[in-house]
Amino acid sequence: MIRFVLLACVSLTLALISSGCTDFVEPNQLAGVLGTAIDHGEDGMIEVSHQIVIPSQLEGPSKGGGSGNSNPFLVMSATGQDVFQATQKIQFKMSRRLITNHRSIIAISEEYFRRNDVRKLFDKLFRDPANNLRDIIVLIKGSSAKEFIMLKHPIESLSSIGAAKELQINGMSGFSSRQFLIDSFLKGSRPLIPVLQIESLKRSPKKTDPTALLSGFAVLDHNLKIKGLLDVEEGSGALWMMGKGTYHGATVPWKNGIVSLRLTQLHRRISSAAGQDPKRIVLTVKAQAYLLENSSQRDMSEADNMVELQKGINEQIQKELQGTIDKVQRWGPDVFGIGEYLHRQNPYWWKSQEDDWDEKFKNIDVSVKADILLRSTGVSGAPLK
Amino acid sequence: MSSISTSIKANEAYLRNQFESCSDVVFRSFILEDETLLLIVYLDGMTQLQSVESNILKPLLYSGLPQGLDRMQSLAGMFSREWLPLTNVKKDESLEDLVHHILQGSLGILVDGEASALLLQVQGYEKRSIEEPKKESTLRGSKEGFVENIRTNTSLIRRRILHPHLKMESYTIGKYTQTEVVLTYMQGLADEKVLSEVRKKLGEIELDGVIDSAYIEEWLENRPFSIFSQIQNTERPDIVTACLLEGKVALLTNGTPFALILPITFWSGLQSADDYFERFVFVILTRFIRYLMTFISFSLPALYVALTTFHPEMIPSTLMLSIAAARQSSPFPTVIEVFLMMIIFDGLQEAGVHLPTQLGSVVSIIGALIIGQAAVEAGIISTPIIIVISLTGIAAYTIPRYSAALPFRIIRYLLLFISALLGFMGFALGMIFLMIHLVMLESFGKPFMSPIAPFDGKRFRDLIIRYPFWIKNGRNKKERQT
Repeated sequence: MIRFVLLACVSLTLALISSGCTDFVEPNQLAGVLGTAIDHGEDGMIEVSHQIVIPSQLEGPSKGGGSGNSNPFLVMSATGQDVFQATQKIQFKMSRRLITNHRSIIAISEEYFRRNDVRKLFDKLFRDPANNLRDIIVLIKGSSAKEFIMLKHPIESLSSIGAAKELQINGMSGFSSRQFLIDSFLKGSRPLIPVLQIESLKRSPKKTDPTALLSGFAVLDHNLKIKGLLDVEEGSGALWMMGKGTYHGATVPWKNGIVSLRLTQLHRRISSAAGQDPKRIVLTVKAQAYLLENSSQRDMSEADNMVELQKGINEQIQKELQGTIDKVQRWGPDVFGIGEYLHRQNPYWWKSQEDDWDEKFKNIDVSVKADILLRSTGVSGAPLK
Repeated sequence: MSSISTSIKANEAYLRNQFESCSDVVFRSFILEDETLLLIVYLDGMTQLQSVESNILKPLLYSGLPQGLDRMQSLAGMFSREWLPLTNVKKDESLEDLVHHILQGSLGILVDGEASALLLQVQGYEKRSIEEPKKESTLRGSKEGFVENIRTNTSLIRRRILHPHLKMESYTIGKYTQTEVVLTYMQGLADEKVLSEVRKKLGEIELDGVIDSAYIEEWLENRPFSIFSQIQNTERPDIVTACLLEGKVALLTNGTPFALILPITFWSGLQSADDYFERFVFVILTRFIRYLMTFISFSLPALYVALTTFHPEMIPSTLMLSIAAARQSSPFPTVIEVFLMMIIFDGLQEAGVHLPTQLGSVVSIIGALIIGQAAVEAGIISTPIIIVISLTGIAAYTIPRYSAALPFRIIRYLLLFISALLGFMGFALGMIFLMIHLVMLESFGKPFMSPIAPFDGKRFRDLIIRYPFWIKNGRNKKERQT
């Protein structure tokens, strides 16, 4: 026993000394990268900008406000042949080690998408285990991504967290780089990424601030080239049809007026119409609707009107979503994952189709069927007379 | 073994020799009316003098011996049979025994010309009255606690179990202290193997003195080097009663209010008497909190160090930012900070235990103000660490028994060091070693992690849910029949 204790003591001491006890990195030796911007550089180079948080500038309750003008983050950028080289250049200028695990957004400029092969970029982003794959990939339209990442957010102290939160809170989840990775590796589905645009917003009588706003969604093809842009309305519908949506607001005309509904419990189901023919697909979308506004002068407490309204919104939403699908089908990329459904249903047939699915998807007949259940018509029955 | 001689002179000389320089031993010899020489020996302070005076001296001196009896045979025998108005009377024929009994507080009467001594059990000494147990207080339930006197303690148990199957075997341990130890168990419920092992071990004890039951505890344990104690101690008679009825064995030691209970499992330390007194639904909640807090009490500092210094990616971003902001100006590495705070916390605790109550507030003021506030404001210690350490400290106090919390205080340090070396990997290693040790540990033949390893579904459920008693009783009955 005494020998064992001695042995344990000696080995512990040796372990302490030999390991140097310096493997750890203290939190104040780290520089957290919260957002990364990728821009096109000259001569095949790539410009990487990191938004790095400065913890001491964050408003903490103990600091008692501090100066309102201080920026809680700084943006460092460098150009390199690839992401690693550029990041290394930034690291040399930093007193702290860059840590990308907490990144919440990757912004890529439209220019970069148009002029480079984006697949090469994502190799670095996905291969390195230091990427948590929870970060959201967005496309910046009309300006450089670096510009976007330098912007301050009106509410959040860190703009990249703010942008990620904006998407999250509006029911647009499923844009993580993990999801992007899955969509771009699968042969039967294509990625859809949100597009942000910098616009000038007047937030007070004196000041006009540039603010990044969600302006739509980009549809990417197999080579990650932009094939087309959907606007926010269409994009929200597309998300629903992709099975990723959690919330959808609909304002549809009905009986000489307009009704607004909140749709929750969004689901979608793909099925082959007419039995075996894989070229005819029915995409059923399901939701529960809550009537919030009604300017149609109808008394919604009457059962007949309710049935009629439910029928009306089903038709209207079916029409809108069909429009979105037709638009995407004209471009080619199958963002809805219908190819994956066909892959599972008809694996042998799929083998002949999987190459060049972007082209073949154009010939698939997809029809949308809405199955919306009107849950509530609100607290008031008849409108004011 | 020298027997009592017929000569009272020789006996007195022997006793006086034995009790040389013992100022508290009283020799009192007197002559009765019929010229019989009597010698009374007792320990002053250990006997009820009033009883001696009124029951022995007065009748003998004032009224003399009853006439017309055949006193010539044996005066002592006659005394014990029909004369002295005392219940507990013994006859003794060996001088060593006589000395032993006098030391225990008996009154010895020697009669000239007789080779035997009469022993009257008239012990009576000052003792603490029964008070509320301070170390294990409960909100509901009995307020009685054990005291130092073993007879009071046995009576506290006896009063709760009115059944002849409650057995109390007496042992005398300690060369000099001659401490009485009582092994108590329920015949038929207690495991015979455990009983014979305990009896064997009690017989093997070689001690000069038994000051506390802890002395016996260390002799009994199978794995004395383990940080986990394999014997529970308690000062609550109701806990002892409950354990006896569960088939456990208890040891009472004279001179200490702490009874020993064995065999125990890892979980008995985490159960409080209150668990069985409060409503069972509420108990499920408190038990969960207690188990969680127990885990926190030994793992949180290690987890904090491993997370912040080895795996910062595992902390949610905003939390990581607050920690980084709080650590902005800390001069020491996190491990050192945590280690310092743990030392200070344990130091404060140690100081608080030993300080007189009047000075207790001083420690708390120094602890709270100087260490808590000033160290943070000076930027030496970061705030999250204060939170971690105080949470750990509070968590340790949710463990109902003080001695059950002690092993976790040791594990806390060990896990901290190994996690500081190897991060989560070290934490996992430490937990594996801990598990291996716990699973290998036995308490008197019973596996220490009992309902979990080896797994026993029925008793495992009792760990999580304290069933209402009617369900439990039904189960017990079934078990007894088989």
